[in-house]
Amino acid sequence: MPVNAKTISDDEFFFGHKACAGCGGSLAVRAALKVLGPNAVAALPAGCMSAVGFNFPQLAFANNAMITPFAATASVLTGIEAGLRAQGKKPDDCTVVGFAGDGGTADIGLQALSGAIDRNDDVLYICYDNEAYMNTGIQKSSLTPFGAKTTTTPAGANAHGCLTQKKNLFEIVAAHGIPYAATASVGYLNDFIRKVERARDIRGTRYLHVIAPCPTGWGCDVDETVDIAKDIVDTGLWYLAEYEGEQLCGQPGGRFKLNRNPREFASVEAYLRRQGRFKSLTNEEIVQVEAGRNATWETIRRTWIV
Amino acid sequence: MKEVLWHGRGGQGAFTAARLLGAAASLADGRHALAFPSFGPERRGAPMRAFTKMSDAPIGDRSAVAQADYVVYLDDTLLGEGWECELKPGGIVLVNSVRTFDDPRIVALDADGISAAVLGRPIPNTALLGALATLCDQVNAEDVKEAIRQYMPEKLHAKNIVIIDAAMEAAACQPQKSAQHPGCHPERSAQRGVEGSRAATAVALTVDTAGDPSTAHLRCSAQDDSGAAAGRPAHIPTLRSGTLDPSAFAHSTCFEAGYLVAKNAGWRNKRPVIDSAACTGCLQCYMHCPDGTVYKVAEPARGGAPVAIDLDFCKGCGVCAKVCAFGAIAMVPERDESEASA
Amino acid sequence: MKRFLSGDEALAEGVRLARPQVISAYPITPQTVVVERLSEMVESGELAAEYVHVESEHSALSCAIGASATGARTFTATSSQGLLYMAECLTYASGGRYPIVMMNANRSTALPWNIYGDQRDSLALLDHGWIQVYAENNQEALDLALMAYAVAEDARVRTPVMVNLDGFALTHTYETVDVPTSAQADAFLPPYDGAGNRFDFEHPVNIGFSAGPEYNRYFKYWEHRDMLDAPGVIDEVEARFAEVFGRAYPGMIECVNCEDANVVLVTLGSAAGLVRGVVAKLREQGVRAGMLRIRYLRPMPSALIAEALRGVRAVGVLEKDISFGAEGTVFTNVNSALHQAGVTSPTYNFIGGLGGDDISEAQVIGMFKVLLDASEGTIDLPRVSFLGIDSPVDAAAPSCHPERSAQREVEGSRSASATAAPKEAN
Repeated sequence: MPVNAKTISDDEFFFGHKACAGCGGSLAVRAALKVLGPNAVAALPAGCMSAVGFNFPQLAFANNAMITPFAATASVLTGIEAGLRAQGKKPDDCTVVGFAGDGGTADIGLQALSGAIDRNDDVLYICYDNEAYMNTGIQKSSLTPFGAKTTTTPAGANAHGCLTQKKNLFEIVAAHGIPYAATASVGYLNDFIRKVERARDIRGTRYLHVIAPCPTGWGCDVDETVDIAKDIVDTGLWYLAEYEGEQLCGQPGGRFKLNRNPREFASVEAYLRRQGRFKSLTNEEIVQVEAGRNATWETIRRTWIV
Repeated sequence: MKEVLWHGRGGQGAFTAARLLGAAASLADGRHALAFPSFGPERRGAPMRAFTKMSDAPIGDRSAVAQADYVVYLDDTLLGEGWECELKPGGIVLVNSVRTFDDPRIVALDADGISAAVLGRPIPNTALLGALATLCDQVNAEDVKEAIRQYMPEKLHAKNIVIIDAAMEAAACQPQKSAQHPGCHPERSAQRGVEGSRAATAVALTVDTAGDPSTAHLRCSAQDDSGAAAGRPAHIPTLRSGTLDPSAFAHSTCFEAGYLVAKNAGWRNKRPVIDSAACTGCLQCYMHCPDGTVYKVAEPARGGAPVAIDLDFCKGCGVCAKVCAFGAIAMVPERDESEASA
Repeated sequence: MKRFLSGDEALAEGVRLARPQVISAYPITPQTVVVERLSEMVESGELAAEYVHVESEHSALSCAIGASATGARTFTATSSQGLLYMAECLTYASGGRYPIVMMNANRSTALPWNIYGDQRDSLALLDHGWIQVYAENNQEALDLALMAYAVAEDARVRTPVMVNLDGFALTHTYETVDVPTSAQADAFLPPYDGAGNRFDFEHPVNIGFSAGPEYNRYFKYWEHRDMLDAPGVIDEVEARFAEVFGRAYPGMIECVNCEDANVVLVTLGSAAGLVRGVVAKLREQGVRAGMLRIRYLRPMPSALIAEALRGVRAVGVLEKDISFGAEGTVFTNVNSALHQAGVTSPTYNFIGGLGGDDISEAQVIGMFKVLLDASEGTIDLPRVSFLGIDSPVDAAAPSCHPERSAQREVEGSRSASATAAPKEAN
């Protein structure tokens, strides 16, 4: 039976944490753990979710969970999985799952993630992407989008925030030939939940990349989290997609599938202007962002299963 | 040395005020100040503290202020029981509130109103700073304004200086406060060291540091068994109480999962209220709550909603109200709610 | 069974006998042979373990941490820059009280880049919460692999152990080693349980959380206190080891002729073999010389060292390490031990063997000679001196011509690089 609002477990495995009000990352972790159930073993590196979840003696995970070194989410997951399997102690419904932020995944943790995918270790890696180092107070990561003001990409007369483009981690991961990878957003929670469920039931390495807005860092109201996470998809600045590796789809090289193909995009300008972090972007720069979006979608629509 | 203890919520600007005060107090040669925030895991909206120390001599003690000459509350929902324990004898509390207080040690100032009149939205920190300049002889109005000019972004100077003047005027109209009440035991104040637990008051962890660390223990002074647990699922972190013995727990970093000792209710200044007549039971609020504080009610009472809010842990973010397509959830200010229920 | 094995191979045999369930390692000279042998054993089925090919030392130890958190017995191995690269994870492992055993092939640290043995790598990480033990020979290396698990996993200790083997001097040097049977090893080392410090599906746990200022000190205090309990456990483990295998070890330190010695040279690792021989020769000549070999440097056997050296007229500390701008790290630790116990013997630090430089018998004889001279007040011996550079030892050493020593360097490096070149990593 597919997991939905009616059937999802009443259990709460991430509760009583100290995340900011309206935190998108905590919603992603909460929803994923509800799908994965009580026998999930979670590993979290230094980052928002471990900082707000593991304050002895306030321990907000109801399931087995641990902190890892910052760069080591994937390698600790590997160790957990290998350790349980070597001892014959891994329950059938046990998902070994990691939750790391954008910096912990695309920057410092990328090497270990690549290693785990290379070995095809039986782990689920979930990147909750709030587009900057939020735990340390909003510094640029390689997943910070162009034009976003962070404390290390200040918006001033000479630069309007982040000067680099968001790293395309989804396709970097897919290029490993991983069995399953997907993008998601907490603004399309049912889609995210479906993908967690799907990933849960696939063996080998699985990767989910979920957009999880941070009102504090994005400069929006705390109640806008879900709405803005929907908006980023509707504008086409993020997309909902899946990559199925050869192991899964039988097709050499695997295949990409787009899950949502908006007939018309929502306004990029409105999306950017509603957030404090993009305040300094000029109209020309917004046109540039739109052009980048169009180019990406042109390729997607041409080469992926739409 | 004069010490100021600031209570605010993350994001309210308490530390900015603490810093500006320190800057103002140390403008002159031979004057010294320290300003620092409490660093905790709690996030925006959570109760936090900041400190300012001012002296004629260099200040070597960089530890938190347990008892202060001035205790400032940026949010009157934070002014709870035991507040007097943080006051030195003769100390004064300055609180952002429209309420009146019987205790002569408490000075109330409508800092929200003063700042909103100038800025268009309530940012109470500099208004309280202005009031402090009236109450405290370590700084004067010009010092505070100079600190604003030096340490705030230029575009904020003019408006904040207007706020300072308005606040000083308002504070000067207050009846003269005196403080004849004796102070409290320092040990009691130390109990308040654990951020966040104080506002909730249900569980106050205390650290007994007397004697050998091996025999020191942690204890919960109170326990709340009501509310949250009732009707909640099998797997959920729950509030606990009881003794934690370091010689038992500190041999490893492995501890019972889902062990909670503090609520998050103190973070909230608005709470969701469900209109059961409008609620269709679509469960979108339940699905989207980042804190898991919306829960399904197994057997709703007649006319009752099929979902309810765990107000011990709701942070008042309002995501539930926003995702409700039927307008069945309203975010109601805590103060109104508590007055209504009183 | 007697076999002629290198230190790396002997250690791998010891690890095999300990039956780790998860091995994660990344190759680095001169540790490489250990992981090669272990992967062969896993391939052949001799060893039933998950062998994880991690992509870095950081991941090697992180993976071991994850596995240990499930209650699995784990092993990893590294050396030099690899040890430094995983340094961050060392404190996660020790703070999390994961009883991981790690072999470290003691090797010089860059720059200049150098693959040969000295002890700057492990000594730089002395404060990271690991028990550190130094093997003198290949037999001890094998035996320590087994004993390390027994110590690390003891509920009273529950602390990771780093087993240090001098690079090349042990790792790539072959000698006869007695390899015990699996039955013996199993009789000695029970399976690891890990209860209380591992995931539990009946009673879930959170592991490796954060603890703020009000709690942190308790965790650190007990990490320290429990390591202080290790010597008692080590004694018990060695007693059991002697019963099962018939080989006795002397505990935290080994004293050779210290009781009536006028001069004692303190050292650790493979250099002790050389010093041991010199002490025997000097004794034959009527010189009251002694050796103190530090086996375990953490926990620091301060009281034992101080008592062994009480009354000695001059103490030398020979180590393959320098804490730049200070003195040898072992020297600092020994001085502290003596000072705490009120032992006032003068102490002298000999820094040698850096970057794989040989320490010769002549130099060791020279060390004892200058210590004797210093104890009699006939020379003014510097507190810290470098062998082959500014140490009076070289002048006092019999037949130690600078030309000969230069010749030896050339030969030594040629043969060493010939051995290592094909397997170089990092």
